[in-house]
Amino acid sequence: MRLQRIVQGISLASFLALLWCGATRPVQVIPADIFLRMDPLLAGIAVMAGRAVIVTLLPAVLVLVLTPLLGRFFCSMVCPLGATIDMTDALLRGSRGGKPDAGAGLKLVKYGVLCFMAAASLLGVSWAAFGSPLAVATRFYGLLVHPALMLAADVGLATARPLLRGAGIDAFVYTELPRPVFGLQWVTALLMAGIAAGALFAPRFWCRCLCPAGALFGLVSRRPLVFRRRVSGRCTSCGACSAACPMDAIGTDPRTTDHAECTLCGRCSAVCPEDAIRYAPGPASPGRPAVVFSRHRRALMLSGLAGAGSAVAVLVGLKPYPSGDAPGQGAGLSLLRPPGALPETGFLQTCVGCGECMRACPTNTLQPAGIRAGLSGMFSPVMVPRLGPCDIGCTLCGRVCPTGALRRLDPQEKRYAKVGTAVIDRHVCIAWEQGKPCLVCDEVCPYGAVSLQRREGPGVSVPVVDEDRCNGCGFCEHYCPVGPVAAIVVRPMDALRLDTGSYREKGREMGLSLEPKTKTLPGGEEDPAGTDGALPPGFSD
Amino acid sequence: MAKTPVEMFLVRLEQYVSGRMGRRTFMKTHAKGALWLAASASLVSPRVLSGAEIPDIAVCVGDAAAATRRAVTMMGGMKSFVRTGDKVVIKPNMSFTGDVMDAVNTHPEVVRELVAMCREAGASRVRVLDHTLRPSEQCIEGIRDACRIFGNDVVHALEKRDLYREVTISRGVSLKETEVMRDVLESDVLIAAPVAKSHGSTGVSLSMKGMMGLVWNRTVMHWRYDLHESIADLCTILRPKLVVVDATRVLTTHGPGGPGRVITPRTVIASTDMVAADAYTVQAYEWYGKKMPADKVKHIRIGHARGLGRMDTSGLTVRRTVL
Repeated sequence: MRLQRIVQGISLASFLALLWCGATRPVQVIPADIFLRMDPLLAGIAVMAGRAVIVTLLPAVLVLVLTPLLGRFFCSMVCPLGATIDMTDALLRGSRGGKPDAGAGLKLVKYGVLCFMAAASLLGVSWAAFGSPLAVATRFYGLLVHPALMLAADVGLATARPLLRGAGIDAFVYTELPRPVFGLQWVTALLMAGIAAGALFAPRFWCRCLCPAGALFGLVSRRPLVFRRRVSGRCTSCGACSAACPMDAIGTDPRTTDHAECTLCGRCSAVCPEDAIRYAPGPASPGRPAVVFSRHRRALMLSGLAGAGSAVAVLVGLKPYPSGDAPGQGAGLSLLRPPGALPETGFLQTCVGCGECMRACPTNTLQPAGIRAGLSGMFSPVMVPRLGPCDIGCTLCGRVCPTGALRRLDPQEKRYAKVGTAVIDRHVCIAWEQGKPCLVCDEVCPYGAVSLQRREGPGVSVPVVDEDRCNGCGFCEHYCPVGPVAAIVVRPMDALRLDTGSYREKGREMGLSLEPKTKTLPGGEEDPAGTDGALPPGFSD
Repeated sequence: MAKTPVEMFLVRLEQYVSGRMGRRTFMKTHAKGALWLAASASLVSPRVLSGAEIPDIAVCVGDAAAATRRAVTMMGGMKSFVRTGDKVVIKPNMSFTGDVMDAVNTHPEVVRELVAMCREAGASRVRVLDHTLRPSEQCIEGIRDACRIFGNDVVHALEKRDLYREVTISRGVSLKETEVMRDVLESDVLIAAPVAKSHGSTGVSLSMKGMMGLVWNRTVMHWRYDLHESIADLCTILRPKLVVVDATRVLTTHGPGGPGRVITPRTVIASTDMVAADAYTVQAYEWYGKKMPADKVKHIRIGHARGLGRMDTSGLTVRRTVL
């Protein structure tokens, strides 16, 4: 077993453990989103597009600084997408080894992709969701593989339950596994299928030809300063290493290495019959840079221009609400962003669409926004209260966001990070319209924003929303018995979106009172329902 | 309560057999319930006390745990409801997040005392179950912590549909079928242990209304059916052998979620008749500052009319004790 395989295995296992179980650990020595924060492409796009220094992305800087010293170690040892491609390559390519069937000339493409994304992010548009290998891997494992495993486990448990009951074993009878569901699963699946299908052309096709993060690593590792592949005089030029190299980094003369492509995977030294290949500090064996940029200036500039063009297309595209401060701006598309989301423009620039927040959300309310938010924002998170409410004490989404597009908030602050306002459709509400006794929204509201009031007409007490006490958490919409569209719906109206400062202070200033239901009645002694001589709520003659 | 290995073996064996014969046990209890119903419906005059000791309603004022124990003792003791080897389900209110003094959930000590008494009476299994409204872990926290002395497997909020089973309500007027917790259907004894609180839609939420916490889909009772009628429908199949109303604190306004005005009568009310227990509780306290007769609560009115129990508490024997 090569060292690289062991390190890669540990990395993938840690990545999955942190993604699947990491957010809710009581003590967070290693942050759940640490792998995302190590991706320099993701970091670069977030910082450039968002025009902000993001301290949480420091690990990516470290990785980028280490690369000129050590080479592209990240790709073979850390990257979970790389590990996944190694697995799908093994499945799809079988024993065909590393010899490239095609794609040798396509190595330049990844630099084009990098230019495309860099130019777009300079204009403030982020394509990280489609280019960052960590974002792609996080979505695949967090939003597709994890729900599939949970489904399998829960179905298995449901099948075993009658047997367990019959045998009098109580241990798992009440175990309830969540079954998360997510939108855009076909996009997530097809993207990964496309990446895996690259195996039909060449091993590690994505990594060697398309990955913009790989291109970034390649740029800085053309001449590794310390650690590199060295070939000793024992080499007989048999070419075994060249044929085995999954990155096509070894020239026809096996003593030459394209360090911009070499990921230090060690396959060459493993197959070398003469044991002539070492990874060690020391004088370099002759280099063979495959891509000579000067010959491809035109192509790279065109890629950059295309990226800039894509950014312009996004910038003149329809904006979701709320895109501006004044009424009438935006298209009125109702996107309910999670609590602590930066103001919309900055949010879309900073969010990398990795899906980490959606995976962490315990109520499954966070979903990819879909095409309503435009192609660039299709994996940005929105709340869907019908799927789940936003729990009053939970701050996980902000805690796991690698770029701070969702701000990290304590529970006190989070309560004031108002996401919207619940609005009752009185023509659909069964209390208002049909005079049926229903108080579910009042019953479930954790902020006490819904109250039952006696009004002329309906004959029963009817729910009324106090906007200043409504956080937009969506408990009411979630539990409303009217369906499929609830009679009480949270709109992003009056959402409090701040890029700096305290939500609590700002909210108080605006007159919000977003506290949990208090223990005692505030103020006046007499209850409104008790003073008018009518029967108390719910009683009848 | 130490058991010899032989006794343990017998209890296990009994569990095993009764687990295998769950459906028959269920049919048996139902048959009994139907007979009992027929008998009670035919009675017009107040029940004659056989031993002159057991009242229709026992009321005890005191600390939560002690009052609970005494009230049940006044009703003949837990042994008259729970036999050795019985499976018991206790249904408290634990659907809300809140402190004890918010009076939205049953007092944890009341529940703990009930579990203790069931175990003393020889119950083979005691479960405290509810279908919560808010995130379940926070709702059941207080009662789960209080019951931890009996192990970690007593208090549960059931959120999976396969833990419920479809049943038909043959006497249903509005609600004719629903899905009920399998644990309840397979149990020998159901004990209702509601906290006394007001309810914006149904006036009060007591033992009858509390049965909605044992079914899978209760929102349908709001939007499709008549809520009051369907509560009574539910009470034709979910018949607690014992009702223990926790009035140690009473949420008299803005129930069921609160916050509202909380009074502290320090009282526990026990009865075998859920309509009577609820009716007595309604009349014992002021709701939104008003004394209300029990017949102003529609589901109690319907329950009485349909013979599920008696709301005319003046014709019932009530025994009060102050500790």
